[in-house]
Amino acid sequence: MSRSPSGRRVSFSVTITRVTETSVILALVVLTALAFDFTNGFHDTANAMATSIATKALRPKTAVALSGILNLVGAFLSVEVALTVTNAVVKIQDKSGAPKTELLADGGSALLLIILAGLVGGIVWNLLTWLVGLPSSSSHALFGGLVGATIAGLGWGGVNWNGDGSKLDGVVGKVLLPAVLSPVIAAVVAAVGTWIIFKITAGVAARFTDKGFRWGQIGSASLVSLAHGTNDAQKTMGVITLALIASGHWSDTANIPLWVKVSAAVAIALGTYLGGWRIIRTLGKGLTDISPPQGTAAQSGAAAVILASSHLGFALSTTHVATGSVLGSGLGRPGATVRWAVAGRMVAAWLITLPAAGLVGAVMWWVGDLIGGMAGALVVFTLLVLASVAMWMRSRTGRVDSSNVNDDWEGTDVTDVVEKPVPAVAN
Amino acid sequence: MHNLGFALSGAWQVLIAGLVLGAGLPILFALGIRSLAWGAGEATVSDSGVTVPGTRRPVGTAIGYLLFAVVVVGVLLGITFIVASGFGYKLDFSGFLPALVAK
Repeated sequence: MSRSPSGRRVSFSVTITRVTETSVILALVVLTALAFDFTNGFHDTANAMATSIATKALRPKTAVALSGILNLVGAFLSVEVALTVTNAVVKIQDKSGAPKTELLADGGSALLLIILAGLVGGIVWNLLTWLVGLPSSSSHALFGGLVGATIAGLGWGGVNWNGDGSKLDGVVGKVLLPAVLSPVIAAVVAAVGTWIIFKITAGVAARFTDKGFRWGQIGSASLVSLAHGTNDAQKTMGVITLALIASGHWSDTANIPLWVKVSAAVAIALGTYLGGWRIIRTLGKGLTDISPPQGTAAQSGAAAVILASSHLGFALSTTHVATGSVLGSGLGRPGATVRWAVAGRMVAAWLITLPAAGLVGAVMWWVGDLIGGMAGALVVFTLLVLASVAMWMRSRTGRVDSSNVNDDWEGTDVTDVVEKPVPAVAN
Repeated sequence: MHNLGFALSGAWQVLIAGLVLGAGLPILFALGIRSLAWGAGEATVSDSGVTVPGTRRPVGTAIGYLLFAVVVVGVLLGITFIVASGFGYKLDFSGFLPALVAK
């Protein structure tokens, strides 16, 4: 159990100070949540658009603009309240979505600190994986951060490891098992689709296949973007609303404040439009070389698997599905090669996403708790800003943007550039 | 271990749905492209170097566009599904035509 920072005699002036202190912490939580939403957007642009950019079905800027708009629309399409999003992995809310009462003392600052630390864990991991150009799951980063912060704040018992046995739930059911199963399912679907498409269109004039599959790609990629906006923006909306309820600024567990919805939708759309070019490059060029029919099969497979899963309540990560389907399309195309070293590095990143984001979340909680109160939250937020700026500065060496996202993969590995700057020698 | 059971039972349903829609629709789309190309006839290059369009086969063109229409309906159902579930409805496939019912 965490120690409570309270214990002083509550006088009128102390109450006033505390109200303002909580408001500052709340503001930091909201800002950090929107920042996470933004990284979620640019981290996941690749899931929908990497294949269309790689095959030049869409120009890079057009692709990210289209995906951004569809994410924005998608975020408004779902009015389902995702207030209970944290329940999948931690026990800081009850079933209705209301925060646990024992965390509400002192203006809900105990709960706010857990959320803040968890969000910082998610953002730091998202930025780090973006820096090395690896598509890792944003939802897993968020869950990892929350689990770490909860373990630090409430102990192991605060984590929902295995659910209560009535449905697929907990860290095992909502995070680990889908992470193993969903890329495999997506890979099988895309491989079958690609293989049959190549059989069907063998010998058909390129003027028909090029134009046809170009539209096939755009359509299927759009569907993935829309589904992404619907699923992922919800998570941030849920987290912000939880923080508002905990600090006493909102009480309705059946609705989300409009400004929360609008700001979360705009944040994810802007992030998507910025485009995580490093990740787009890895997914579009690094894993396998993609042709238009493959791209169509990969995105259709991804869209179908994402939609079917959300229909069946089978939680999964868009990133794992998209990566699996791109890999599958490489396996299904006769004569294509899959760069297993790149795939292996992605899987390694997936494996350490939860513990790595969790570690950052836990450390941030300890730092925030040690200093305590508003000062603690401010220090945590400052650390996040410093880490983000440092990683952004690092990304300036070996820059990847819309101009070079489609360069040949061999010899210009993003990861290598980051680890040891390589002189630009053609090989 | 109950989670493993739930996950596996969910996984095969996702796999079936994924294969039917995720592989099935692009396959129909590919057939549409093939049909369209067949409908346009095979172009040949004459002795004088001029490209001569082949004999058109309207049936192929028609079948091609019909297949595209089926794919578009499939995609529209997908979009309806996303929108409907967000507004508290779900698609019901028990009748002949899919219908929206309140959840």
